[in-house]
Amino acid sequence: MAAVLKDITLGQYFPGNTVVHRLDPRTKIIMVVFYIISLFSAKTYVSYCFMAIVLFTVIKLSKIPGKTLIKSVKPLVIFIGITGVLNMFYTPGQELLRFWIFKITKEGIIKGILMVSRIIMLVMGTFMLTYTTSPIMLTDGLESLLAPLKVIKVPVHELTMIMSIALRFVPTLIEETEKIMNAQKARGAEFDTGGLIAKAKALLPVLVPLFISAFRRADELAVAMESRCYHGGEGRTKLKRLKLMARDYGALCCGVLVMTTIFVLRSRGL
Amino acid sequence: MKEHILQLENLSHVYSQGTPFELTAVKDINITIDKGEVIGIIGHTGSGKSTLIQHMNGLIKPTSGRVLLEGEDIFSSKEATKRVRSRVGLVFQYPEYQLFEETVYRDIAFGPKNLKLSEKQIDERVRYAARFVGISEELFEKSPFDLSGGQKRRVAIAGVIAMMPDVLVLDEPMAGLDPAGCRDIMNNLMSYHDETGSALIIVTHSMETAGEFAKRMIVMNRGTVAMDGTPEEIFSRGRELRQMGLNVPTMTMLKDALSERGIELPGTIYTVEQMKKALEERMGGGSRA
Repeated sequence: MAAVLKDITLGQYFPGNTVVHRLDPRTKIIMVVFYIISLFSAKTYVSYCFMAIVLFTVIKLSKIPGKTLIKSVKPLVIFIGITGVLNMFYTPGQELLRFWIFKITKEGIIKGILMVSRIIMLVMGTFMLTYTTSPIMLTDGLESLLAPLKVIKVPVHELTMIMSIALRFVPTLIEETEKIMNAQKARGAEFDTGGLIAKAKALLPVLVPLFISAFRRADELAVAMESRCYHGGEGRTKLKRLKLMARDYGALCCGVLVMTTIFVLRSRGL
Repeated sequence: MKEHILQLENLSHVYSQGTPFELTAVKDINITIDKGEVIGIIGHTGSGKSTLIQHMNGLIKPTSGRVLLEGEDIFSSKEATKRVRSRVGLVFQYPEYQLFEETVYRDIAFGPKNLKLSEKQIDERVRYAARFVGISEELFEKSPFDLSGGQKRRVAIAGVIAMMPDVLVLDEPMAGLDPAGCRDIMNNLMSYHDETGSALIIVTHSMETAGEFAKRMIVMNRGTVAMDGTPEEIFSRGRELRQMGLNVPTMTMLKDALSERGIELPGTIYTVEQMKKALEERMGGGSRA
């Protein structure tokens, strides 16, 4: 169990010093938006191939190991599989195979493959953002991008602060869970035997201490923040101020270029 | 003839094997623990102490090597792993954070209950364990969360003692307690050892505590056993200890400081008592002559 918890790589940050890592988080967020729009505007395999090349280039530039990326898609295998199969069956067109009430069409197979590659590319692309951007940079970027919403009284700073604290404490809580589970196991507790109710009951000795420690941590954090005179976003300055560099403008131009290409391809029916 | 109770054979453990985060926590550990021994395990942060002790009751499986409880591999079957949990009790660092029951009594009873003992046996064990850690029966119906820090720690330790383990392993049992609290807990643990004859393994960074109570000390460094011997043997290698980022007891430091100033005291000294005796002997014989 402990090993399983540790292996969750959902949106883990991989420190590095590549061009992709050094880009301003705002640039990267906007690029992801461009990427998603392009991906959903892609119509035929020509556009998909083009998007695959774009994704591959970014992966190579960021030096994120391919193994890790493949692992990030793994939890979605079932979902992706179902999408593929459904598309295969429910697209009208030239019939290839028929049994009982099901029929597989040529168009269905093509559409299924395209949908599957779209989801995989979508997941990998968005994961590239979280793999190359530290959580703090990511929330800083979001805060800066969402700043205009302050005009209509959206508490942008507070929301992003909540987000960064939550992200920060995920690994801490996982570690804590492991520790408590081990401590209770040392007292003879078992977590993987018995029926569903027995298993749920067995979790109580873990959940109670976990909640107590989460509240304790929250309390301590609040005191620590207050004693550093934290009072919300008003007039707060940053240690690392976000500043757009030449490379950011370059990257944004590339993003616009990719999007335009896809739109042109789309208008030509590709 | 001493009987072995726990043996670690060529034990190694690698975390996250095959990933960029691969980390060898302990390697090639060979330790044999006899029945009724009192052992102090000392080491710098990250020297593999915690990983090592979690092997002792089968919480983590070694990457290679074996753990034997009275000659039987504890990972040979699921039952064997289960059995070791009741024979080798493990108290984690800050054990008070694992309390969860509504009353002190029920929290201490959690371990024996998992052993599927009868109500009567459970009751006996709870009272027995509470007595060892100095928790009076008036506290039984209180919520463990209303107790003071020191009392919580005692209740948590009682929760493990109630399993009546033959080997009691504690990770920094004195962390965060005041000196009086430390002394009390150590005395409680020693009386458990004396009365039941079970082995006691204490992980600590306090050389004084280890030197005072343990008959044998194991020094861990970078995942290996750097030294294994009596406190006298260990403390006579002060220079090596310092190279590992560890300190020798204050009295040993004092002895070295005196020797630098030309006052040589015989033998190894690591307790106040020994220092007092050595100084008295020297002053009684040397200075007046």
